[in-house]
Amino acid sequence: MSAPVRERQVQPRAELGYLSGIRTIFKLEILQRVRSRGWYMFLAMWFTVIALVVGLTALNVGAQGRGTGQLMFELVVAFVLFFGLLIAPALSSNSITGDRANGTLAILQNTLITPGQLLLGKWLAAWVTSLGFLIVTIPLLLWAMTYGDIYFPAVPGLLGMLVLELAIVCGIGVGVSALANRTLFAVLISYLLVAMLGLGTLIAFGLSMELVRVDVKASNQEWSEENMNGDDAIWDPNDYTCGTTLYTQPAYATDRNTWLLAANPFVVVADAAPRPVLKPGQDADLIGPMGGISEMVRSSQAGIANTIPCLNGIKNLDTLPEKSSPLWPLGIGLQGLLAAGLLVAGRAKLRTPAGRLATGTRIA
Amino acid sequence: MESTVSSPGSTTVAQTAQNTGISANSLARSFGHVVAVENIDFRAEPGKVTALIGPNGSGKTTLLLMLASLLKPNHGTISVQGIDPVSNPRAARAVLGWMPDTLGMWESLTGREILTTVAALYGIAKSDAATRAQELLELVSLEELADTPARVFSRGQAQRLSLARALVNNPAILLLDEPASGLDPGARVQLRVLVRQLADSGKTVVISSHVLAELDEMADAAVFISKGKTVRSQTLAEAGTQIRGYTISVLDVTRLREFLEAKNIAATYAQDFDSPRGSAKVKLASETEAAALLKELVLGNIAVTTFAPSAGLLEETYLSLEEGTP
Repeated sequence: MSAPVRERQVQPRAELGYLSGIRTIFKLEILQRVRSRGWYMFLAMWFTVIALVVGLTALNVGAQGRGTGQLMFELVVAFVLFFGLLIAPALSSNSITGDRANGTLAILQNTLITPGQLLLGKWLAAWVTSLGFLIVTIPLLLWAMTYGDIYFPAVPGLLGMLVLELAIVCGIGVGVSALANRTLFAVLISYLLVAMLGLGTLIAFGLSMELVRVDVKASNQEWSEENMNGDDAIWDPNDYTCGTTLYTQPAYATDRNTWLLAANPFVVVADAAPRPVLKPGQDADLIGPMGGISEMVRSSQAGIANTIPCLNGIKNLDTLPEKSSPLWPLGIGLQGLLAAGLLVAGRAKLRTPAGRLATGTRIA
Repeated sequence: MESTVSSPGSTTVAQTAQNTGISANSLARSFGHVVAVENIDFRAEPGKVTALIGPNGSGKTTLLLMLASLLKPNHGTISVQGIDPVSNPRAARAVLGWMPDTLGMWESLTGREILTTVAALYGIAKSDAATRAQELLELVSLEELADTPARVFSRGQAQRLSLARALVNNPAILLLDEPASGLDPGARVQLRVLVRQLADSGKTVVISSHVLAELDEMADAAVFISKGKTVRSQTLAEAGTQIRGYTISVLDVTRLREFLEAKNIAATYAQDFDSPRGSAKVKLASETEAAALLKELVLGNIAVTTFAPSAGLLEETYLSLEEGTP
């Protein structure tokens, strides 16, 4: 205040480009995040834990033939997804409630930035931050690749969907953050929503089982003499015929309720990645967690045809559909709808001049 | 202490709009059942410092938030440089600078980064933003702390940074909510000089404060609000003509008493218990009357040591409002 200042006139354009506004908010968020030391310690801890788990897994299964690399790869993906679901809501839920508590939100709102730009910038920043968790695991992914048995067509699907899932979880967190007045409340709600996707879908699937219980006419499988008495090595489990005596048996038509699992993040990621097609006579590789989920979902989608070998006297192998329809588009659609809904509602809440304010809150 | 502040009529967007200052009519705003602002009329002229005075909880901050385009009034109209902040908030924000009473800052960012970030949010180009940040840091004497994270700033430093932040877009309208709280005496003087210069350069400055003595020296006009209503608007020139309390200190209070009683001037007296010294408080209708009384006292051979208004101009009005006798 004391120095003489030659003030050069700077002309504000009163125009803020849409992208440049988003970029500024993004930069502001990232800058604050990279400056917190806790963040780096967290990433280091994260890397150590995953490296330990993956390393020990490699040691344990290393001797059991093909598939170690694939297993490790899928394990890392599953881990990043699991912890992403745990961490991303906490990181993103603070993004706007934190500014509200600090009094910096009103300062941003008083500039030319629009609520949409503010939300998009914050969302992008939260997403990029959560991608940090994937990026630090790159060495582990590369290590998995050195085993040379990774099914490469599945790699883009797994990683791409993982990245998309993190974006959705961050979108949920940021949207809730804009709607909530207090950080604690925002974190709680985001966790509940993410838990609804991760666990709620499983619970709903389990509870709906009674609704899809049906009585079917089954009959016994009959194996030919040669097959029964033959060597184990040449025993073919599919070489059977169906008996003619039909009896009533309860079964679960899971083809009708498997869609309830669609919005589960693990199902989305696993389902989106293509599975290797086994050539006749080829042994199946070790199966990783994502592959396991994918196979369980596919067999659940097949429903009765998969669980009852002889239905109405007909061998199920003859009626089993070649390929079940993919579940992930429905899943990502539902999740996207949830995240988009929250972001749109959050945008309305951030609009100023503010009309209604929740009791006990201040603008600044 | 001599700094030149951007002159008005220069390049801000504000000047492309009409330079009409602020006018707000019959504003009302409530939060649930709590009525924060009931009926406020407010006017602030360009080139003038308008003080917004009122007790805690009288609605000052709510009024400023409405003027700053952050809060929608339930009722009433606002015009900021001819722009309605409710229907066109972005245009209003381009000409507004707002310094909130809560000093929110991005703590891990340096002062310079905070200013350039805010400049970017006003659409100011990168190189211009850097120049602007440097100018403002010098203006509020924070050059030495420019590259220190805001976390370590003292309250007074944060206050100055907040003021610099409000000036980033070279606003025609400056709304300052309690800008002096937390400042040391030196910084208060600097703030006063700076605010004066900003107003002299043509900006409309609105300043809310509790420190009335300070506003006396800065403000050209004052709006008093109480319980969400405008109770009085006056210019400082008007305030000079109102009835004011004066304190007369003398060496012998008994003689003063005899003198005043002979002239039928009502007064309250206070005497030192170990000497004849003491003082009297009187109410006088105008400055002319005060000058006349002082002359008579001196001619009447009363040993006057001080003869001064008991309180500042604004304080006087404030107190008279509290007594309910405006």
